[in-house]
Amino acid sequence: MLQLAFRSVKERPGRFAATLLSAFLGAGIVMMFNSLHDTAAQAGIDAQSEEILSTTGGVVGSYGTLLVFFAVASTLTVNVRQRGDEIHLLRCSGATPAQIKRMIMGEAAFVAVIATTLAVLPAMLAGRLLVSSFKDSNQVADNVDYAFGSIALSTGTSITLLSSVGAAWLAVRRATSDPTTTAAKDAARARWRTIGGITALVLGAGAAATTLAIDETEPALMAPAAYAAVMTSIGFAVFSPHLLRALLAIYGRPIQLLAGVAGYLTVHNMRRRADQLAGVLMPMILFTGVAIATLYMQLIASDALDAGGVQKTADDKNLESLNLVIVGIIVAFACIMLINTLYAATSYRNREFGGQRLAGATPRQVQIMVAVESLVLTATGVTFGTLAGLVGILPYNIVRTDTIWPEQGPATWITVTALAATVTFLTSLGTTRRSLQTPAVDTVTAAA
Amino acid sequence: MFGRKSGAGAVKSAEALRLVNVTKSYGMSENAVKALDDVSLSLASGSFTAVMGPSGSGKSTLLQCAAGLDRADEGMVLVDGERMSGATEAQLTRFRRDRIGFIFQQYNLLPTLDVVQNTTLPLKLAGRRIDRARAERILGQVGLGDRLHHRPDTLSGGQRQRIAVARALVTDPSVIFADEPTGALDTRSARDVLSLLQETVRFHGATVVMVTHDPVAASYADSVIFLADGKLAGQMTAPTADAVAERLAHLGDPDHDTTPHHTDHHGVPEYANPYESGYRSDESSTNDYRFDDYSVLRMGA
Ligand SMILES: Nc1ncnc2c1ncn2[C@@H]1O[C@H](COP(=O)(O)OP(=O)(O)O)[C@@H](O)[C@H]1O
Ligand SMILES: [Mg+2]
Repeated sequence: MLQLAFRSVKERPGRFAATLLSAFLGAGIVMMFNSLHDTAAQAGIDAQSEEILSTTGGVVGSYGTLLVFFAVASTLTVNVRQRGDEIHLLRCSGATPAQIKRMIMGEAAFVAVIATTLAVLPAMLAGRLLVSSFKDSNQVADNVDYAFGSIALSTGTSITLLSSVGAAWLAVRRATSDPTTTAAKDAARARWRTIGGITALVLGAGAAATTLAIDETEPALMAPAAYAAVMTSIGFAVFSPHLLRALLAIYGRPIQLLAGVAGYLTVHNMRRRADQLAGVLMPMILFTGVAIATLYMQLIASDALDAGGVQKTADDKNLESLNLVIVGIIVAFACIMLINTLYAATSYRNREFGGQRLAGATPRQVQIMVAVESLVLTATGVTFGTLAGLVGILPYNIVRTDTIWPEQGPATWITVTALAATVTFLTSLGTTRRSLQTPAVDTVTAAA
Repeated sequence: MFGRKSGAGAVKSAEALRLVNVTKSYGMSENAVKALDDVSLSLASGSFTAVMGPSGSGKSTLLQCAAGLDRADEGMVLVDGERMSGATEAQLTRFRRDRIGFIFQQYNLLPTLDVVQNTTLPLKLAGRRIDRARAERILGQVGLGDRLHHRPDTLSGGQRQRIAVARALVTDPSVIFADEPTGALDTRSARDVLSLLQETVRFHGATVVMVTHDPVAASYADSVIFLADGKLAGQMTAPTADAVAERLAHLGDPDHDTTPHHTDHHGVPEYANPYESGYRSDESSTNDYRFDDYSVLRMGA
């Protein structure tokens, strides 16, 4: 079966491009930030250098790692779910569920190992660049050597492997579940999901409360706040099928009235496929939540310094922009994962689009349907991403400024929202456009 | 049985479908495959025609070109006296959805819509008025009256194909095309669907063109058109399963056939096995053998 896994990867490399890319970027980011720990742990390093390196490694490493874990997992989940046909075919040709499980998990492990291996060199270079930027702004002593060692390697490998294989295991379990026991299993699965979602929300709330309890001068203050935003995002993502259905119950009619038959198809589609759409909502909520939380916290921190009458040195300013760059890397990663997932999810819909076209839908009607769907997804994702972001931002702002609502304007929020919307529309519509170039008949007869 | 045809656009010519010198090739110049080679034919309104031929003889291509799902390289297609036109897929779609119904082997229903919604979808997409009562009446007539709000994946193959038939009927099209509509069905469901198609022609006045490789299925039609290597290779009216099988078995033979015999990859007939081992329509043997079962039934009828 493991052989089958290798062959399957070898023969259809395109199919693994999305998972490979996400695992590669994820492993790269995790290793890049965790190599700061390796650098800080070297013998003979001075206290100030050590402090700044381990704080950055700790803050960004913690929520960044968490983000990577869930982002990679969500790509894997979408990928495995889309392969229902293939899994069905394997079962029909006599593969046992255990064999299929081993194959899919073997593939996931294989891709994760390749991705981590490929990511080592780029992560090393990026980490070195980061440390030298710290040196340039005099945060780290010039004599400190960059080190890439066991901490970076072990976290990179374990996080990538764990999230890939774990997500593959969860997704394939559903794909291969015995139809006769599905009702009971579905209920059990739903219960586990609920427990997982509540746990994430509780952890998020806990992290927010922790933020409130921490002293305002503590350099790692941002860590629990960002962690709160990520965890709350995950919790919302878990419950997003319910949230989506609730929203559709309210907005279903207006959507159908405004968008006609495309709206009609969208609403029915999303209602039935709410569970699958959670796979797309996860990276969208994560992106919005993390982007808003980290960007606003940087702004709050920098404005708080100004308000405190602290005269910023050139080094302070450099550090500020360096922090923004670091946050930018994380936000960019979340954005790429969103694109990646949207692409994977849409490119597998050839058959669905083909079916609609053969039933009499013009290409334009299919495009409008996808556009309406993107609109609903963006609205849902941005709403809950914003809420999740606030769970991190508000406690942080309270500690830093003793006011509840941050005074930084909505410009950043608007930018993040616009980015989420643009990315969602461009990726979905672009991928649909490509799919529409295949003759409709081919899409339904190919798999027949 | 299927109710009156609706008033608008109901003036139909006596000729439902005409193909004039239709040619279609796949692939590039050197190794191009001529899937359809100068095919001309005319089908009367209210006829039930089966299209038969070996695998790769161009049956599906013929249907897709005639139905506007694919574009012919040369020649023209007239549906109900009107020339099929359209440079873009959107234009072709608009032409198609008012005049043509299509039934696929794999049903091609939307899994997220229920039975009624699937049936009325073509009307919705065309922006036409939805006569729900009529849709439900048609569904009742195809035997799905008690399944109106089920989703396709909770129904059997035969039931799904009957939704597809209802969906093809609901727009009151000039021609209904069916590509191996019983290919994925068991004997009993296949028989039901075939009878249903027959009824739509007899009582509803529909025109049906059905591709099949099953002589028994073909025997439900009024006439059979034979294809070989993309060319017409004869016709048979009032077909019986035996006669069709006999004709098919000798379709490639030079003395039985006007088309030259090729020994290329098209030469493998997909019906070869059952007939070479002897087609026994007179044996009431096992039910799982579809040809026998039908024949018994037909002879008893
Ligand atoms: N999309 C396609 N691309 C290339 N060749 C095709 C395509 N569709 C059909 N053909 C070729 O055209 C010929 C006729 O095919 P088809 O109409 O599907 O035959 P049938 O339905 O009778 O089995 C075959 O040789 C087939 O290989
Ligand atoms: Mg065919």
